[in-house]
Parts: sequence; C-alpha cells; structure tokens
Amino acid sequence: MSAYRSLGKNPTQILQKIKESLDRLNEKMEVMIEIQKHSQKENQSIPDVLDVMTLLSLPDHLRKTAVTISRLEQATAEEVAEQTKRARAVESGYLNQLVMMGYLEKERRGRKAYFYIEK
Amino acid sequence: MGKIVAFHSYKGGTGKTLMSVNLATIYASRGKKVCLFDLDFRAPSLQAAFKTDDTEYWLNDYLNGVCDVKKVLIDLSQRSERKGELLVGLANPSTEAIREMSAKDRKWEMKALGRLLSLKDSLLNEMEFDYLIWDTSPGLQYSSINAIVSADVALVVTTIDASDMEGTQRMTHELYDLFEKKTGILMNKVPAEIISSETGKRKMRKQFETVHGLPILEIVPCFCDVLRASGTYIFTEEKPEHPFTKIVGKIASKIERF
Repeated sequence: MSAYRSLGKNPTQILQKIKESLDRLNEKMEVMIEIQKHSQKENQSIPDVLDVMTLLSLPDHLRKTAVTISRLEQATAEEVAEQTKRARAVESGYLNQLVMMGYLEKERRGRKAYFYIEK
Repeated sequence: MGKIVAFHSYKGGTGKTLMSVNLATIYASRGKKVCLFDLDFRAPSLQAAFKTDDTEYWLNDYLNGVCDVKKVLIDLSQRSERKGELLVGLANPSTEAIREMSAKDRKWEMKALGRLLSLKDSLLNEMEFDYLIWDTSPGLQYSSINAIVSADVALVVTTIDASDMEGTQRMTHELYDLFEKKTGILMNKVPAEIISSETGKRKMRKQFETVHGLPILEIVPCFCDVLRASGTYIFTEEKPEHPFTKIVGKIASKIERF
C-alpha cells in the first residue's frame, strides 16, 4: 500500500498502478499454469526441442510466438509483438512461458531481454 | 509482399512437381519474379526437370548452414523468353546426399525450419520475389511439414484413388487444421468423362469440398498429352494453347487472389 500512498490522491494513477500489478500477476500465473501442464507432459517424455512436431503440439497462442522466434532467430518481446501484431506485454508473457517450458533461452543485455532457441 | 506457396500431397505421384514447375513458369511468363524450391530431399526431381548440370551449391547446403541461399539459386531467366524471372533451388539428387538428409535429427529439423522461415525476410522482403514455390515430399514427414509451416498457402494435390483420398482426408482434418494456413485442394488426373459436363464437375466439387472441408481450387482432368510429354519439357511453355496450360493459368490467378 505504501507504493500507492506515495502516488498521492490521483485515483486514475492508482487504478493504473493496480492494473499494472494485476497484469504482472496474470503473466506469472499463466507461466505457473504452463509449468504445471508441462511437468505433466514431461512424464510422457516429450523432449524439449522446438521442432515442427513440438510446434504443432503447442496451444495456438504459443505456437504463433514460437514460429516467430524460429523465423527471427533471436528477438525481444517488442520485436515479436511487431510481427504477431499482439501487445508487447502479451508476447512477453508467452515468451517467458516458452522459456519456462524449456524451448527458449533468455538473455539480458543491458535493459533488453533477448529470446532465442537454444543453440 | 510476395507469397510462399507449398505443394503437398498424401501420396507420391499425384502431380506436385508437374504443378509446381508449370505454375512457376506461368508466373514468370506473366512478369513475376519467381523461385521454385525442390524440398523433396528423398526424391529430388527438379534437376532432371530443368536439366541443370552445373550446380555448385544445393538447398541441402543452405539448410545445413554451409552457405547463403543466394549461392543456391540458379537463374533460368535467360533460357527462354519470359517477361519475369525464374530461379530454382535444387535438392542434391546423389544417393549419398539423400542418405545424409534422411538421417537428420530433430534438432537439425528445428534449425531447418528456422532457415526456411527466414527466407520470407531474405527472399520476399529483401530480394522482392513475388512467389516462392515449394515442391515438397509426400506424406507426413519432417521436411514436408517444415515446408507447410513456413508457407503462406498450402495446396494439397490429390487424385481420385481411394487410398489417396482417404489419407488426404485424414491429413487435412487432423493436421492441416493446426497449420492455420490458407489451404486448397487440387484434384488432379481426374478421368475426363467424369467432369465432361458442368453439372458433373459441380457435383464432384461439392462432394470433395464436403469430404475435405476445404475449397477445391481446381479439378484437373487427366491429359494423355501431359503424360506423353513425360516431364521432358515444361508443358505450359511448349504448348501455350493446350487446355492443361489454360487450367494451370486459372490456378495461378486463383492463388493470386487466395
């Protein structure tokens, strides 16, 4: 709450801050759900190579992101969003899910995070 | 921006190569910049179709990461009077190369898909090709699925053979749905008497559209003249007035609007 108090009494700002927090929370929850799904799949011994068979087994929303990374080799969430015409925050969530699932690698360079298929 | 068109089929011998070679040639004759790729690494055929014998780099090399795609492309534009440009990328037909390609693992196939996808940037965007045409291998295997995933339009060539029809139906329902591609069916080698009347043709189109759940782009009759040519020359170029040439022309226009 202290973070909100410091914003003063502007309700729009407070709501905006709450929305951002919720977005972040949603992103994290989606990652957790995917991890859970993935750990079930792992028992069926699906190797984590992002080949075309794996692409086809991914849910539609993740497949679009994964195909875009395949094409670009490496990219930031913003660059992927430019190609898929979806919001950067959405792509960031999907890319992080793919990282957690073991299909992509993530590397921070300065302020930017780059995603790529494991070399 | 240009388009990538992939020709695929469930069974072999349905006419993918015949269609892709002739479609590429028709686009080139209409002034388009076209590149035809032989992505059937198990049974390469474009080298024989175009009678090229001075190939230095193959598509195998590009997918292996040995060379740039520009080194692979062979420009055939000077060979005949076409308004546009026609280039080809060939698969290595040597037994050793076929053996090597069939032993690739999943990781290699993953990289190969990345390299095919990146052709959108290097060939369609930078070199401004209007059409890239993939001639793929039949059935469900890595090389053909990689090709379909990297294409914008997928055309499934099928005959009225029962096993072909059944396999194609399964493939279109179970797999093509996942691709989310613009997909069309090309019925080839259909006995002329079945579609001699407009009603017969319409009936057949409706029947097969229901079976496959996809639009039938064209019903191509079986032409003895095409069989007689036995792939020794590019049919649509040698016989511009032949009904087969007119049909391929119609297909070309439909893909443009697809």
